[in-house]
Amino acid sequence: MNQLHQRVIQVIASLATVPVQEIRPEDRLREDLGMDSITSMELVSALAEELSLEIEVEEAIEITTVRQVMEMASARLSGVEPHGAQ
Amino acid sequence: MVLSEAPSLVRDFAASLERFARAHLDPSAIDEQGRIPTEVVRGLGELGAFGVSIPQAYGGAGLGLAEVSEVVATLAKRDRSVAATLGLHLGLGTRGLVAFGSEELKARYLPSIASGQALTAFATTEAGAGSDLGAIRTQAHRDGEGLIVNGEKIYVTNGGIANLITITATSSDLGGGRRGHSLILLESTDPGLEIGPEEHKLGLRGSSTTGLRFNEIRIPLDRVIGRPGEGSTHLEHVLAWGRTAMAAGCVGAGREGLERVVEHVTTRVQFGRPIGELPVVRNQVATLAAVLFATEALVAEAAETDDDHRLSRLSMATKIFASEANGEIADEAVQLFGGSGFIEDTGVPLLLRDARITRVFEGANDVLATRLGVMEVTHPSHRPASGERRADALAEDIERALVEAKKRLGIHILRHSAELHRFGRLAVLREATDAAVRRARRTIGDGRVRASASSRCLKWQLLAEDRARTWLSGGPDPDLVQAVTRNLYEEAGR
Repeated sequence: MNQLHQRVIQVIASLATVPVQEIRPEDRLREDLGMDSITSMELVSALAEELSLEIEVEEAIEITTVRQVMEMASARLSGVEPHGAQ
Repeated sequence: MVLSEAPSLVRDFAASLERFARAHLDPSAIDEQGRIPTEVVRGLGELGAFGVSIPQAYGGAGLGLAEVSEVVATLAKRDRSVAATLGLHLGLGTRGLVAFGSEELKARYLPSIASGQALTAFATTEAGAGSDLGAIRTQAHRDGEGLIVNGEKIYVTNGGIANLITITATSSDLGGGRRGHSLILLESTDPGLEIGPEEHKLGLRGSSTTGLRFNEIRIPLDRVIGRPGEGSTHLEHVLAWGRTAMAAGCVGAGREGLERVVEHVTTRVQFGRPIGELPVVRNQVATLAAVLFATEALVAEAAETDDDHRLSRLSMATKIFASEANGEIADEAVQLFGGSGFIEDTGVPLLLRDARITRVFEGANDVLATRLGVMEVTHPSHRPASGERRADALAEDIERALVEAKKRLGIHILRHSAELHRFGRLAVLREATDAAVRRARRTIGDGRVRASASSRCLKWQLLAEDRARTWLSGGPDPDLVQAVTRNLYEEAGR
Protein backbone atom coordinates (compact mmCIF):
# COMPACT_ATOMS: atom_id res chain seq x y z
CA MET A 1 0.00 0.00 0.00
CA ASN A 2 1.52 3.36 -1.00
CA GLN A 3 1.90 6.41 1.17
CA LEU A 4 -1.17 8.14 -0.25
CA HIS A 5 -3.36 5.16 0.55
CA GLN A 6 -1.92 5.02 4.05
CA ARG A 7 -2.88 8.66 4.61
CA VAL A 8 -6.37 7.91 3.33
CA ILE A 9 -6.67 4.98 5.75
CA GLN A 10 -5.54 7.17 8.64
CA VAL A 11 -8.22 9.77 7.93
CA ILE A 12 -10.86 7.03 7.67
CA ALA A 13 -9.66 5.45 10.91
CA SER A 14 -9.96 8.69 12.84
CA LEU A 15 -13.52 9.37 11.65
CA ALA A 16 -14.77 5.79 11.92
CA THR A 17 -12.97 5.25 15.25
CA VAL A 18 -11.64 1.97 13.92
CA PRO A 19 -7.96 0.92 14.31
CA VAL A 20 -5.92 1.54 11.18
CA GLN A 21 -4.87 -2.10 10.95
CA GLU A 22 -8.51 -3.23 10.74
CA ILE A 23 -9.35 -1.22 7.62
CA ARG A 24 -9.21 -3.01 4.28
CA PRO A 25 -9.66 -1.61 0.75
CA GLU A 26 -12.76 -3.71 0.16
CA ASP A 27 -14.50 -2.41 3.29
CA ARG A 28 -17.82 -0.66 2.87
CA LEU A 29 -17.97 2.62 4.80
CA ARG A 30 -21.35 1.86 6.30
CA GLU A 31 -21.68 -1.88 6.73
CA ASP A 32 -18.06 -2.63 7.63
CA LEU A 33 -16.88 0.59 9.26
CA GLY A 34 -20.14 1.77 10.81
CA MET A 35 -20.08 5.20 9.18
CA ASP A 36 -23.47 6.82 8.89
CA SER A 37 -24.64 9.36 6.32
CA ILE A 38 -23.12 12.28 8.20
CA THR A 39 -19.68 10.79 8.90
CA SER A 40 -19.39 9.45 5.34
CA MET A 41 -19.82 12.98 4.03
CA GLU A 42 -17.43 14.38 6.63
CA LEU A 43 -14.85 11.88 5.43
CA VAL A 44 -14.75 13.28 1.92
CA SER A 45 -14.40 16.81 3.23
CA ALA A 46 -11.66 15.74 5.68
CA LEU A 47 -9.77 14.04 2.85
CA ALA A 48 -10.10 17.06 0.61
CA GLU A 49 -8.55 19.17 3.36
CA GLU A 50 -5.83 16.65 4.30
CA LEU A 51 -4.72 16.04 0.73
CA SER A 52 -5.58 19.48 -0.71
CA LEU A 53 -8.00 17.98 -3.23
CA GLU A 54 -10.80 19.65 -5.18
CA ILE A 55 -13.87 17.46 -4.83
CA GLU A 56 -17.45 18.28 -5.72
CA VAL A 57 -20.32 17.48 -3.38
CA GLU A 58 -21.94 15.39 -6.12
CA GLU A 59 -18.87 13.14 -6.23
CA ALA A 60 -18.96 12.58 -2.49
CA ILE A 61 -22.33 10.87 -2.59
CA GLU A 62 -21.06 8.20 -5.00
CA ILE A 63 -18.41 6.95 -2.58
CA THR A 64 -19.35 3.92 -0.52
CA THR A 65 -16.13 1.91 -0.11
CA VAL A 66 -12.56 2.47 1.06
CA ARG A 67 -11.30 1.45 -2.38
CA GLN A 68 -13.41 4.16 -4.04
CA VAL A 69 -11.93 6.71 -1.65
CA MET A 70 -8.40 5.58 -2.53
CA GLU A 71 -9.14 5.64 -6.27
CA MET A 72 -10.65 9.10 -6.06
CA ALA A 73 -7.64 10.43 -4.15
CA SER A 74 -5.18 8.83 -6.60
CA ALA A 75 -7.08 10.13 -9.61
CA ARG A 76 -7.35 13.66 -8.25
CA LEU A 77 -3.68 13.85 -7.48
CA SER A 78 -2.68 12.43 -10.86
CA GLY A 79 -5.29 14.48 -12.78
CA VAL A 80 -6.99 11.35 -14.22
CA GLU A 81 -10.69 10.47 -13.64
CA PRO A 82 -11.10 7.32 -11.52
CA HIS A 83 -12.34 4.17 -13.25
CA GLY A 84 -16.14 4.11 -13.48
CA ALA A 85 -16.61 7.77 -12.59
CA GLN A 86 -18.97 9.78 -14.78
CA MET B 1 -55.21 12.30 4.38
CA VAL B 2 -57.01 14.23 7.03
CA LEU B 3 -59.97 12.44 8.53
CA SER B 4 -62.59 14.16 6.44
CA GLU B 5 -60.92 12.92 3.26
CA ALA B 6 -60.47 9.28 4.34
CA PRO B 7 -62.45 6.45 2.74
CA SER B 8 -65.67 5.71 4.65
CA LEU B 9 -64.38 2.37 6.03
CA VAL B 10 -61.47 4.10 7.74
CA ARG B 11 -63.68 6.96 8.91
CA ASP B 12 -66.16 4.48 10.43
CA PHE B 13 -63.34 2.71 12.24
CA ALA B 14 -61.91 5.98 13.47
CA ALA B 15 -65.40 6.98 14.64
CA SER B 16 -65.76 3.76 16.66
CA LEU B 17 -62.31 4.35 18.14
CA GLU B 18 -63.31 7.88 19.05
CA ARG B 19 -66.47 6.63 20.78
CA PHE B 20 -64.40 4.05 22.67
CA ALA B 21 -61.86 6.68 23.66
CA ARG B 22 -64.53 9.06 24.98
CA ALA B 23 -66.25 6.31 26.92
CA HIS B 24 -63.25 4.54 28.39
CA LEU B 25 -60.18 6.77 28.47
CA ASP B 26 -59.67 9.02 31.46
CA PRO B 27 -56.42 10.91 30.76
CA SER B 28 -56.11 12.33 34.27
CA ALA B 29 -56.54 8.93 35.90
CA ILE B 30 -54.11 7.29 33.48
CA ASP B 31 -51.58 10.04 34.19
CA GLU B 32 -52.01 9.88 37.98
CA GLN B 33 -51.96 6.11 38.22
CA GLY B 34 -49.13 5.79 35.73
CA ARG B 35 -50.79 2.95 33.85
CA ILE B 36 -53.39 2.17 31.23
CA PRO B 37 -56.19 -0.03 32.60
CA THR B 38 -56.11 -3.61 31.34
CA GLU B 39 -59.68 -3.35 30.14
CA VAL B 40 -58.71 -0.45 27.87
CA VAL B 41 -55.98 -2.49 26.23
CA ARG B 42 -58.40 -5.42 25.91
CA GLY B 43 -61.09 -3.19 24.46
CA LEU B 44 -58.73 -1.78 21.84
CA GLY B 45 -57.71 -5.31 20.94
CA GLU B 46 -61.35 -6.33 20.49
CA LEU B 47 -61.91 -3.36 18.20
CA GLY B 48 -59.05 -4.59 16.03
CA ALA B 49 -56.79 -1.64 16.74
CA PHE B 50 -53.66 -3.79 17.21
CA GLY B 51 -53.97 -5.40 13.81
CA VAL B 52 -54.61 -2.33 11.67
CA SER B 53 -51.38 -2.68 9.71
CA ILE B 54 -50.97 -6.45 9.91
CA PRO B 55 -51.64 -8.15 6.56
CA GLN B 56 -55.06 -9.74 6.15
CA ALA B 57 -53.42 -13.14 5.57
CA TYR B 58 -52.45 -13.10 9.25
CA GLY B 59 -55.74 -11.80 10.60
CA GLY B 60 -55.10 -8.09 10.43
CA ALA B 61 -56.85 -5.31 8.52
CA GLY B 62 -54.01 -5.04 6.00
CA LEU B 63 -54.05 -1.25 6.04
CA GLY B 64 -51.14 1.12 5.59
CA LEU B 65 -49.37 4.02 7.19
CA ALA B 66 -52.15 6.47 6.36
CA GLU B 67 -54.68 4.41 8.31
CA VAL B 68 -52.24 3.83 11.18
CA SER B 69 -51.80 7.57 11.35
CA GLU B 70 -55.57 8.13 11.53
CA VAL B 71 -55.83 5.62 14.38
CA VAL B 72 -53.01 7.23 16.34
CA ALA B 73 -54.33 10.77 15.76
CA THR B 74 -57.81 9.74 16.88
CA LEU B 75 -56.57 8.22 20.13
CA ALA B 76 -54.05 10.99 20.81
CA LYS B 77 -56.84 13.53 20.82
CA ARG B 78 -58.16 11.84 23.94
CA ASP B 79 -55.07 10.37 25.62
CA ARG B 80 -51.39 10.55 24.59
CA SER B 81 -50.26 7.57 26.67
CA VAL B 82 -52.72 5.23 24.98
CA ALA B 83 -51.82 6.69 21.58
CA ALA B 84 -48.10 6.27 22.32
CA THR B 85 -48.61 2.65 23.35
CA LEU B 86 -50.61 1.73 20.28
CA GLY B 87 -48.64 4.01 17.98
CA LEU B 88 -45.36 2.40 18.99
CA HIS B 89 -46.90 -1.03 18.44
CA LEU B 90 -48.30 -0.20 14.99
CA GLY B 91 -45.19 1.73 13.94
CA LEU B 92 -41.80 0.69 15.27
CA GLY B 93 -42.96 -2.42 17.11
CA THR B 94 -44.44 -4.38 14.21
CA ARG B 95 -43.13 -2.75 11.06
CA GLY B 96 -39.83 -4.59 10.91
CA LEU B 97 -41.53 -7.97 11.15
CA VAL B 98 -44.26 -7.10 8.66
CA ALA B 99 -41.93 -5.55 6.07
CA PHE B 100 -38.86 -7.75 6.38
CA GLY B 101 -39.71 -10.84 8.41
CA SER B 102 -39.50 -14.31 6.84
CA GLU B 103 -42.77 -16.08 6.05
CA GLU B 104 -42.10 -18.49 8.91
CA LEU B 105 -41.56 -15.69 11.39
CA LYS B 106 -44.65 -13.81 10.21
CA ALA B 107 -46.82 -16.92 10.38
CA ARG B 108 -45.56 -17.64 13.88
CA TYR B 109 -46.16 -14.20 15.40
CA LEU B 110 -48.43 -11.97 13.33
CA PRO B 111 -51.73 -13.74 14.08
CA SER B 112 -51.37 -13.19 17.83
CA ILE B 113 -50.31 -9.57 17.19
CA ALA B 114 -53.32 -8.96 14.95
CA SER B 115 -55.73 -10.36 17.52
CA GLY B 116 -54.36 -8.11 20.25
CA GLN B 117 -52.93 -10.99 22.26
CA ALA B 118 -49.35 -9.90 21.70
CA LEU B 119 -48.15 -6.33 22.15
CA THR B 120 -44.82 -5.24 20.71
CA ALA B 121 -41.92 -2.94 21.53
CA PHE B 122 -38.83 -1.69 19.76
CA ALA B 123 -35.50 -1.36 21.56
CA THR B 124 -32.55 0.47 20.09
CA THR B 125 -31.40 3.23 22.45
CA GLU B 126 -28.52 2.46 24.84
CA ALA B 127 -26.75 4.46 27.51
CA GLY B 128 -23.95 5.29 25.05
CA ALA B 129 -26.08 5.30 21.91
CA GLY B 130 -28.92 7.80 21.73
CA SER B 131 -28.76 9.84 18.55
CA ASP B 132 -25.60 7.94 17.55
CA LEU B 133 -27.11 4.56 16.67
CA GLY B 134 -23.77 3.45 15.27
CA ALA B 135 -22.48 3.30 18.84
CA ILE B 136 -24.77 0.50 19.99
CA ARG B 137 -23.02 -2.26 21.91
CA THR B 138 -25.69 -4.94 22.21
CA GLN B 139 -24.29 -7.98 20.43
CA ALA B 140 -25.78 -11.00 18.74
CA HIS B 141 -23.30 -13.66 17.80
CA ARG B 142 -23.70 -17.05 16.29
CA ASP B 143 -23.45 -20.13 18.46
CA GLY B 144 -23.99 -23.32 16.48
CA GLU B 145 -27.50 -23.22 15.05
CA GLY B 146 -28.57 -20.35 17.26
CA LEU B 147 -27.75 -16.86 18.43
CA ILE B 148 -26.59 -15.52 21.77
CA VAL B 149 -27.62 -11.98 22.62
CA ASN B 150 -25.95 -9.81 25.25
CA GLY B 151 -26.39 -6.15 26.07
CA GLU B 152 -28.89 -3.69 27.34
CA LYS B 153 -31.30 -1.08 26.12
CA ILE B 154 -32.85 1.91 27.86
CA TYR B 155 -36.04 3.93 27.54
CA VAL B 156 -37.97 1.20 25.76
CA THR B 157 -41.57 2.27 25.16
CA ASN B 158 -43.89 -0.67 25.94
CA GLY B 159 -40.87 -2.37 27.55
CA GLY B 160 -42.79 -3.47 30.61
CA ILE B 161 -45.85 -4.81 28.79
CA ALA B 162 -44.63 -6.09 25.42
CA ASN B 163 -44.68 -9.77 24.52
CA LEU B 164 -42.43 -9.30 21.48
CA ILE B 165 -39.52 -6.89 21.18
CA THR B 166 -37.54 -6.00 18.05
CA ILE B 167 -34.02 -5.00 18.99
CA THR B 168 -31.02 -3.70 17.08
CA ALA B 169 -27.73 -5.50 17.73
CA THR B 170 -24.28 -5.62 16.22
CA SER B 171 -23.88 -8.92 14.46
CA SER B 172 -20.42 -9.15 12.95
CA ASP B 173 -20.51 -12.91 12.40
CA LEU B 174 -23.90 -13.11 10.75
CA GLY B 175 -22.76 -11.74 7.43
CA GLY B 176 -23.58 -8.41 5.87
CA GLY B 177 -20.67 -6.41 7.28
CA ARG B 178 -18.23 -6.26 10.20
CA ARG B 179 -20.03 -3.30 11.76
CA GLY B 180 -23.34 -4.47 10.47
CA HIS B 181 -26.41 -4.39 12.64
CA SER B 182 -29.28 -6.82 12.61
CA LEU B 183 -32.90 -6.55 13.66
CA ILE B 184 -33.69 -9.40 16.01
CA LEU B 185 -36.99 -10.51 17.50
CA LEU B 186 -37.07 -11.39 21.19
CA GLU B 187 -39.93 -12.78 23.24
CA SER B 188 -40.44 -11.28 26.69
CA THR B 189 -40.27 -14.82 28.09
CA ASP B 190 -36.86 -15.64 26.55
CA PRO B 191 -34.60 -16.85 29.41
CA GLY B 192 -32.03 -14.16 30.17
CA LEU B 193 -34.25 -11.22 29.28
CA GLU B 194 -34.64 -8.93 32.28
CA ILE B 195 -37.14 -6.10 32.34
CA GLY B 196 -36.18 -3.09 34.43
CA PRO B 197 -38.48 -0.98 36.60
CA GLU B 198 -40.82 1.58 35.05
CA GLU B 199 -39.26 5.00 34.54
CA HIS B 200 -40.87 7.94 36.29
CA LYS B 201 -41.38 10.46 33.50
CA LEU B 202 -42.40 14.07 32.93
CA GLY B 203 -45.19 12.98 30.63
CA LEU B 204 -46.74 9.97 28.91
CA ARG B 205 -46.91 8.53 32.40
CA GLY B 206 -49.48 5.92 31.42
CA SER B 207 -47.16 4.55 28.76
CA SER B 208 -44.68 1.88 29.87
CA THR B 209 -41.00 2.85 29.62
CA THR B 210 -38.34 0.50 30.96
CA GLY B 211 -34.79 -0.67 30.45
CA LEU B 212 -34.10 -4.17 29.19
CA ARG B 213 -31.07 -6.35 29.88
CA PHE B 214 -30.03 -9.31 27.74
CA ASN B 215 -27.94 -11.93 29.56
CA GLU B 216 -26.77 -14.71 27.30
CA ILE B 217 -30.19 -15.01 25.64
CA ARG B 218 -30.19 -18.04 23.36
CA ILE B 219 -32.59 -17.94 20.45
CA PRO B 220 -32.93 -19.68 17.09
CA LEU B 221 -31.22 -18.11 14.07
CA ASP B 222 -34.56 -17.55 12.39
CA ARG B 223 -35.36 -14.74 14.88
CA VAL B 224 -33.27 -12.41 12.73
CA ILE B 225 -35.65 -10.07 10.89
CA GLY B 226 -34.68 -9.47 7.28
CA ARG B 227 -31.12 -9.72 6.00
CA PRO B 228 -28.51 -10.36 8.70
CA GLY B 229 -26.08 -7.47 9.03
CA GLU B 230 -28.35 -5.12 7.07
CA GLY B 231 -30.46 -3.97 9.96
CA SER B 232 -29.39 -0.36 9.36
CA THR B 233 -31.12 -0.35 5.97
CA HIS B 234 -34.25 -1.99 7.37
CA LEU B 235 -34.11 0.44 10.28
CA GLU B 236 -34.48 3.42 7.94
CA HIS B 237 -37.83 2.13 6.75
CA VAL B 238 -39.00 1.19 10.24
CA LEU B 239 -38.02 4.57 11.65
CA ALA B 240 -39.80 6.37 8.80
CA TRP B 241 -43.01 4.58 9.78
CA GLY B 242 -42.45 5.23 13.45
CA ARG B 243 -41.77 8.94 12.97
CA THR B 244 -44.84 9.43 10.82
CA ALA B 245 -47.07 7.58 13.29
CA MET B 246 -45.64 9.69 16.10
CA ALA B 247 -46.27 12.85 14.11
CA ALA B 248 -49.89 11.73 13.71
CA GLY B 249 -50.11 11.63 17.49
CA CYS B 250 -48.97 15.25 17.51
CA VAL B 251 -51.83 16.06 15.12
CA GLY B 252 -54.40 14.51 17.44
CA ALA B 253 -53.02 16.25 20.49
CA GLY B 254 -52.77 19.50 18.54
CA ARG B 255 -56.45 19.26 17.60
CA GLU B 256 -57.40 18.76 21.23
CA GLY B 257 -55.21 21.65 22.31
CA LEU B 258 -56.69 24.05 19.75
CA GLU B 259 -60.25 23.01 20.62
CA ARG B 260 -59.59 23.63 24.29
CA VAL B 261 -58.07 27.01 23.47
CA VAL B 262 -60.99 28.12 21.29
CA GLU B 263 -63.53 27.04 23.89
CA HIS B 264 -61.66 28.92 26.56
CA VAL B 265 -60.99 32.19 24.75
CA THR B 266 -64.58 32.45 23.52
CA THR B 267 -66.02 31.97 27.03
CA ARG B 268 -63.48 33.47 29.39
CA VAL B 269 -64.58 37.08 30.00
CA GLN B 270 -62.13 39.71 31.13
CA PHE B 271 -62.49 43.48 30.83
CA GLY B 272 -66.13 42.93 29.89
CA ARG B 273 -65.71 40.69 26.88
CA PRO B 274 -64.40 37.28 25.88
CA ILE B 275 -60.62 37.40 25.70
CA GLY B 276 -60.84 35.84 22.25
CA GLU B 277 -61.96 39.21 20.93
CA LEU B 278 -58.71 40.90 21.89
CA PRO B 279 -56.53 41.37 18.80
CA VAL B 280 -53.43 39.89 20.46
CA VAL B 281 -55.32 36.78 21.51
CA ARG B 282 -56.95 36.48 18.09
CA ASN B 283 -53.52 36.49 16.53
CA GLN B 284 -52.26 33.84 18.94
CA VAL B 285 -55.22 31.59 18.14
CA ALA B 286 -54.87 32.23 14.39
CA THR B 287 -51.21 31.26 14.63
CA LEU B 288 -52.07 27.98 16.32
CA ALA B 289 -54.77 27.23 13.75
CA ALA B 290 -52.35 27.90 10.89
CA VAL B 291 -49.62 25.78 12.47
CA LEU B 292 -52.05 22.91 12.96
CA PHE B 293 -53.33 23.24 9.38
CA ALA B 294 -49.80 22.88 8.01
CA THR B 295 -49.05 20.00 10.40
CA GLU B 296 -52.11 18.03 9.34
CA ALA B 297 -51.23 18.60 5.69
CA LEU B 298 -47.62 17.50 6.10
CA VAL B 299 -48.43 14.42 8.17
CA ALA B 300 -51.09 13.38 5.66
CA GLU B 301 -48.62 13.65 2.78
CA ALA B 302 -45.97 11.63 4.59
CA ALA B 303 -48.49 8.98 5.62
CA GLU B 304 -49.78 8.62 2.07
CA THR B 305 -46.50 8.49 0.18
CA ASP B 306 -45.68 5.12 -1.33
CA ASP B 307 -42.12 6.03 -2.27
CA ASP B 308 -39.71 4.71 0.37
CA HIS B 309 -36.94 7.23 -0.42
CA ARG B 310 -39.38 10.13 -0.29
CA LEU B 311 -40.86 8.79 2.96
CA SER B 312 -37.43 8.48 4.57
CA ARG B 313 -36.73 12.14 3.89
CA LEU B 314 -40.24 13.46 4.42
CA SER B 315 -40.75 11.57 7.69
CA MET B 316 -37.81 13.45 9.22
CA ALA B 317 -39.25 16.82 8.22
CA THR B 318 -42.71 15.72 9.36
CA LYS B 319 -41.51 14.50 12.74
CA ILE B 320 -39.60 17.75 13.40
CA PHE B 321 -42.47 19.97 12.32
CA ALA B 322 -45.29 18.07 14.02
CA SER B 323 -43.51 17.72 17.36
CA GLU B 324 -42.64 21.43 17.46
CA ALA B 325 -46.17 22.36 16.41
CA ASN B 326 -47.54 20.17 19.18
CA GLY B 327 -45.27 21.85 21.70
CA GLU B 328 -46.22 25.31 20.44
CA ILE B 329 -49.95 24.60 20.72
CA ALA B 330 -49.64 23.04 24.17
CA ASP B 331 -47.43 25.83 25.49
CA GLU B 332 -49.69 28.56 24.12
CA ALA B 333 -52.69 26.76 25.63
CA VAL B 334 -51.14 27.09 29.08
CA GLN B 335 -50.50 30.78 28.40
CA LEU B 336 -54.04 31.51 27.16
CA PHE B 337 -55.65 29.65 30.06
CA GLY B 338 -53.85 31.97 32.45
CA GLY B 339 -53.38 30.71 35.99
CA SER B 340 -55.74 27.79 35.41
CA GLY B 341 -53.41 26.56 32.67
CA PHE B 342 -50.92 25.74 35.41
CA ILE B 343 -53.40 23.71 37.47
CA GLU B 344 -53.38 19.97 36.75
CA ASP B 345 -57.12 19.54 37.31
CA THR B 346 -57.89 21.49 34.13
CA GLY B 347 -56.01 18.95 32.01
CA VAL B 348 -54.08 21.73 30.27
CA PRO B 349 -50.67 21.08 31.89
CA LEU B 350 -50.97 17.45 30.79
CA LEU B 351 -51.10 18.59 27.16
CA LEU B 352 -47.71 20.24 27.67
CA ARG B 353 -46.13 17.45 29.71
CA ASP B 354 -47.19 14.79 27.23
CA ALA B 355 -45.97 16.82 24.25
CA ARG B 356 -42.45 17.50 25.47
CA ILE B 357 -40.78 14.18 24.65
CA THR B 358 -41.89 14.26 21.02
CA ARG B 359 -39.07 16.66 20.17
CA VAL B 360 -36.58 14.20 21.65
CA PHE B 361 -37.49 10.59 20.98
CA GLU B 362 -37.53 8.84 17.61
CA GLY B 363 -34.63 11.10 16.68
CA ALA B 364 -33.81 14.34 18.49
CA ASN B 365 -35.03 17.16 16.26
CA ASP B 366 -31.76 18.97 15.75
CA VAL B 367 -29.96 15.75 14.85
CA LEU B 368 -32.68 14.94 12.33
CA ALA B 369 -32.46 18.47 10.95
CA THR B 370 -28.73 17.99 10.40
CA ARG B 371 -29.30 14.68 8.60
CA LEU B 372 -31.97 16.35 6.50
CA GLY B 373 -29.46 19.07 5.73
CA VAL B 374 -27.01 16.47 4.40
CA MET B 375 -29.77 15.26 2.06
CA GLU B 376 -30.57 18.83 0.98
CA VAL B 377 -26.93 19.48 0.14
CA THR B 378 -26.18 16.17 -1.57
CA HIS B 379 -29.58 15.54 -3.19
CA PRO B 380 -31.19 18.95 -3.69
CA SER B 381 -34.93 18.79 -3.95
CA HIS B 382 -36.07 19.59 -7.51
CA ARG B 383 -39.28 21.27 -6.63
CA PRO B 384 -41.48 22.50 -9.47
CA ALA B 385 -43.02 25.94 -8.99
CA SER B 386 -46.45 25.72 -7.40
CA GLY B 387 -47.77 29.04 -8.65
CA GLU B 388 -48.33 30.13 -5.05
CA ARG B 389 -46.26 33.30 -4.81
CA ARG B 390 -45.10 33.11 -1.22
CA ALA B 391 -44.40 29.38 -1.23
CA ASP B 392 -42.39 29.69 -4.44
CA ALA B 393 -40.49 32.70 -3.09
CA LEU B 394 -39.55 30.75 0.03
CA ALA B 395 -38.31 27.82 -2.01
CA GLU B 396 -36.30 30.13 -4.28
CA ASP B 397 -34.75 31.92 -1.31
CA ILE B 398 -33.71 28.57 0.15
CA GLU B 399 -32.23 27.43 -3.13
CA ARG B 400 -30.30 30.69 -3.48
CA ALA B 401 -28.94 30.38 0.06
CA LEU B 402 -27.85 26.80 -0.66
CA VAL B 403 -26.06 27.77 -3.86
CA GLU B 404 -24.28 30.58 -2.00
CA ALA B 405 -23.24 28.29 0.85
CA LYS B 406 -21.93 25.61 -1.51
CA LYS B 407 -19.98 28.23 -3.45
CA ARG B 408 -18.52 29.65 -0.24
CA LEU B 409 -17.61 26.36 1.44
CA GLY B 410 -17.34 23.87 -1.41
CA ILE B 411 -17.05 20.28 -0.29
CA HIS B 412 -16.37 21.45 3.27
CA ILE B 413 -20.01 22.31 3.74
CA LEU B 414 -20.32 18.63 4.60
CA ARG B 415 -18.31 19.23 7.78
CA HIS B 416 -20.17 22.34 8.82
CA SER B 417 -22.91 20.79 10.92
CA ALA B 418 -24.37 24.24 11.68
CA GLU B 419 -24.81 24.87 7.93
CA LEU B 420 -26.27 21.43 7.39
CA HIS B 421 -28.61 22.02 10.32
CA ARG B 422 -29.87 25.35 8.97
CA PHE B 423 -30.65 23.85 5.56
CA GLY B 424 -32.45 21.04 7.28
CA ARG B 425 -34.52 23.59 9.21
CA LEU B 426 -35.30 25.45 6.00
CA ALA B 427 -36.30 22.20 4.30
CA VAL B 428 -38.81 21.56 7.08
CA LEU B 429 -40.42 24.97 6.56
CA ARG B 430 -40.51 24.47 2.80
CA GLU B 431 -42.11 21.03 3.02
CA ALA B 432 -44.73 22.23 5.50
CA THR B 433 -45.56 25.24 3.33
CA ASP B 434 -45.88 23.22 0.14
CA ALA B 435 -48.07 20.65 1.88
CA ALA B 436 -50.30 23.40 3.27
CA VAL B 437 -50.70 24.96 -0.17
CA ARG B 438 -51.59 21.64 -1.78
CA ARG B 439 -54.09 20.94 0.98
CA ALA B 440 -55.76 24.34 0.63
CA ARG B 441 -56.07 23.84 -3.12
CA ARG B 442 -57.60 20.39 -2.68
CA THR B 443 -60.13 21.51 -0.09
CA ILE B 444 -63.68 20.94 -1.27
CA GLY B 445 -66.87 22.00 0.38
CA ASP B 446 -68.88 25.20 0.63
CA GLY B 447 -67.41 28.69 0.45
CA ARG B 448 -66.93 28.88 4.19
CA VAL B 449 -64.89 25.66 4.32
CA ARG B 450 -62.71 26.73 1.42
CA ALA B 451 -62.25 30.22 2.86
CA SER B 452 -61.22 28.75 6.20
CA ALA B 453 -58.58 26.55 4.56
CA SER B 454 -57.39 29.39 2.39
CA SER B 455 -56.99 31.82 5.29
CA ARG B 456 -55.16 29.28 7.47
CA CYS B 457 -52.86 28.46 4.58
CA LEU B 458 -52.07 32.12 3.98
CA LYS B 459 -51.48 32.70 7.68
CA TRP B 460 -49.06 29.76 7.69
CA GLN B 461 -47.19 31.08 4.66
CA LEU B 462 -46.64 34.41 6.43
CA LEU B 463 -45.45 32.59 9.54
CA ALA B 464 -43.12 30.45 7.45
CA GLU B 465 -41.58 33.54 5.84
CA ASP B 466 -40.97 34.95 9.29
CA ARG B 467 -39.54 31.74 10.72
CA ALA B 468 -37.25 31.20 7.76
CA ARG B 469 -35.70 34.64 8.08
CA THR B 470 -33.09 33.76 10.71
CA TRP B 471 -32.01 30.64 8.87
CA LEU B 472 -31.87 32.40 5.51
CA SER B 473 -29.64 35.11 6.92
CA GLY B 474 -27.08 32.52 7.97
CA GLY B 475 -28.25 31.28 11.34
CA PRO B 476 -26.42 31.91 14.63
CA ASP B 477 -23.04 33.65 14.46
CA PRO B 478 -20.60 30.76 15.04
CA ASP B 479 -17.78 32.94 16.42
CA LEU B 480 -20.08 34.54 18.96
CA VAL B 481 -21.53 31.18 19.96
CA GLN B 482 -18.01 29.80 20.35
CA ALA B 483 -16.97 32.75 22.53
CA VAL B 484 -19.96 32.44 24.86
CA THR B 485 -19.74 28.67 25.30
CA ARG B 486 -15.95 28.58 25.64
CA ASN B 487 -16.24 30.76 28.74
CA LEU B 488 -19.08 28.68 30.14
CA TYR B 489 -17.34 25.36 29.60
CA GLU B 490 -14.09 26.66 31.09
CA GLU B 491 -15.97 27.88 34.15
CA ALA B 492 -17.48 24.41 34.45
CA GLY B 493 -14.00 22.94 34.37
CA ARG B 494 -14.41 21.25 30.95
